[in-house]
Parts: sequence; C-alpha cells; structure tokens
Amino acid sequence: MTPQLTTQPGLADSAPGETHLTGEQFGELMARPAESAGAELALAEAHLLVCEQCAAELASLREAICLFREASSTYADEELRRRPSWILPERRSFSRSLVPAYWVAAAAMFMTALFPLQVLRRHSVAPAPAAVSSVAASDADRDAQSDEALLEDVNSEISRSVPASMQALADPSDDETAVNSETSVATSNQRKD
Amino acid sequence: MHMGHEGVRMFPSTSLTLGNEARATPLDDLENVVALYQPRVFRFLLATLRDRDAAETLTQETFLRAWSARVSFREDCSLATWLIRIALNLARDHTRTGRFRFWKRVSASAVDVADVAASVPAHDRSAEAQLIAQQQVAGIWATVAGLSARQRSIFLLRFLEEMEIPEIATVTGLPLGTVKSHLYRALAVIRAQHNSASGATARSSTPRNATMRKAATKEMQ
Repeated sequence: MTPQLTTQPGLADSAPGETHLTGEQFGELMARPAESAGAELALAEAHLLVCEQCAAELASLREAICLFREASSTYADEELRRRPSWILPERRSFSRSLVPAYWVAAAAMFMTALFPLQVLRRHSVAPAPAAVSSVAASDADRDAQSDEALLEDVNSEISRSVPASMQALADPSDDETAVNSETSVATSNQRKD
Repeated sequence: MHMGHEGVRMFPSTSLTLGNEARATPLDDLENVVALYQPRVFRFLLATLRDRDAAETLTQETFLRAWSARVSFREDCSLATWLIRIALNLARDHTRTGRFRFWKRVSASAVDVADVAASVPAHDRSAEAQLIAQQQVAGIWATVAGLSARQRSIFLLRFLEEMEIPEIATVTGLPLGTVKSHLYRALAVIRAQHNSASGATARSSTPRNATMRKAATKEMQ
C-alpha cells in the first residue's frame, strides 16, 4: 500500500490544502497495535505528529473502543457470575476391571431369556412311548386285578346257599353257634334275675 | 481471571479415560479449559448475540462441540482460536434462523445497552467524564449492533477479543484482504458515529467519509 495523505478542502476548520489521514490509513492505525506499525504506516505516523486533529481523533476513537472493551468485559463477567453453575452429568468411562461383571450379567440375562423357552419346549414335546406304555399298563393291570377281586367276592356270595349273616340260623348244631346261643340265653336269664 | 462458577463440574479429569488408542489433546482436561476460556467465549457470544440466555446456551454448546471433536484439534492454531471459531459458527447458525429474529424482539434476556454502559469502570474519572464515557460506550454498542454480521464479528474479534488480523482470518476462514476490508468498513461506521456523537470534529460530514459510510451501509444491507 502506498502511503498517501489526502487533502480535505471541505473541512470547515481546516486551511485550504490541509491534508489528513485517509480512511484506510485510519483503519490501519486503529487495527494495528501502535507498537507494531510497519514502514508502510511511517508516513501516517509522521502525519500524526504534526496534525493535532488526526491525532486527537485517533486517540479519542481508541479510547472509546477501549472503554467499549472494558465495559463489555465487565458486563459479561458479572453476567457470567450471576448465571447458575453448569450442571452436567458426569461422564463415566468404561472400566476394564468391570468387564467380567459385564459378561456375567450378560450370561445371566441370556439364561433368563432362555428359561421360559425351555419350559415351553418341555410342555410341547410328547413323552417317550415306552414310558407312556409302561405307566398305562401298570394302571390297567391294577384296575383289572381289583375288578377281578370284586367279581370273585360277588360270585362267592352268590354261590352260597345261605348268606353269611343268616349262617347261625341255618345250622344250629354247629358248636360254635350253640355255645353262642347258650351264652346269650344265660345272659338274658341273669338280666331277668 | 475470575471464575464465579465454583460448582462447574463438567467432565472431571479424574474420570476421563481416553483409551490407549486416543492421543492426548488439550481438551482432555476440560475442567481447566472451561475455567480458562469460558469467560472469553461467553463474552464474545454475548456481544455477538446480545442475548444472555442464548449466549450461555451457545457457550455450553461450544465446549460440548469442542469436547466431541477434540480428536480433530490439530493444534495448528491456539485452543482459544479454535474455541472462538466453534463459537462463531454456532452463533452464525443460530442467527440464521427466523426463530432467532423473532425471539430477539421479544426476549426478556436481551442485553440492555444501558446495563453495558453502566459497566464502564470508574477508575478515577470525574462524574462528568464517567457520564461521557458511558455515552460513548452506549453509542459504540448500538452502532456495532447495526453492522452486518460479518463486520460485527470481525470488529468484535479485533477490538473485544484483541485478536490479530491473521488470527481473525483463521477464525473466520476469510482471506486477509477480506478481513481488512470488512474491518476498515466497520471502523468507518464506528468512527462516523463516534465523531457525530462527540461533536469533536466536522470531518464526519465530508464527502469522503460520507462515501465511506455509504459503502459501509451498503455492506451492512
């Protein structure tokens, strides 16, 4: 950039032919720190030494921007102080020491999921034919034996000429029956006495 | 540096396990990174968005994004530059939405210019000088709000964050010449406002500065 000062004849308070900083030079001087002004700004820097108007304007604007920075920083700091603390969940890392526990838990979950399937399967699948036949045969034999025993009892009762309850009357000569009858007669006599 | 957030416990360094395959990055100790750079990021976003809630939300988002993308940080720029670049992109995305424009008008958390002006440190100024200083700050704050998004960002990066122009070019991804151009235009607008407000000079009415203001206004639109 070629340093160039401008003549601003339109200024009310400036003499004809008076030169001032261009807008670009002003911007360069503002944007760059004062200590780092390069050779291309040497002319502008030299102008500031002789032109009180440009120097005052530059200083005033620098001061205003400095105030702006201070005020903005102070306001933001105070606002930040008033804000509630950040509450974010702590991030837990995946610990390698817990890997076995994770495997155990996974296995337990797998078994838990598998158990109902096993139960269902047990109910749905038919038992072995041999076992079924043996159980059925034993039940049938038991029933048949009891039936036969009952029929034999009935047959024996029917085949008797005198029922068991009338046996005593049917054969009075029987010793045992006689004794019993005598005993019963004696007992009745004693009651009479 | 103040850090008024004693309760900030984001991702404590003690609980961080990056794994053997992950290389160490400056973001590993995020608690310290937040303590160091949160005020700066928040300040930039607050001046850019002028909304306290939005600035805080995007500040948190900035650090979360940085944490998520920490592996991609190649250290070809400073961590501050990298964080500000993330914040700038988030602010840009945020302001593009129509929702932002609506809430900007009705938001209760919008920054009041008077509050900012009242934050001017008194130092040892007289009451009159303090009042003038507050007026100057209010004027600049209001003028910056009227700049185009790009001019405002570059102005704030240079004069609020005190970044050098090459650093600003890195943050914005713009060529150096473009950054300078936007910066000078923004300065021309600020200078014109400052001169007219202070009444110190009549140069703001010159044809040259009027042309500059016109160009800057055109850029803003």
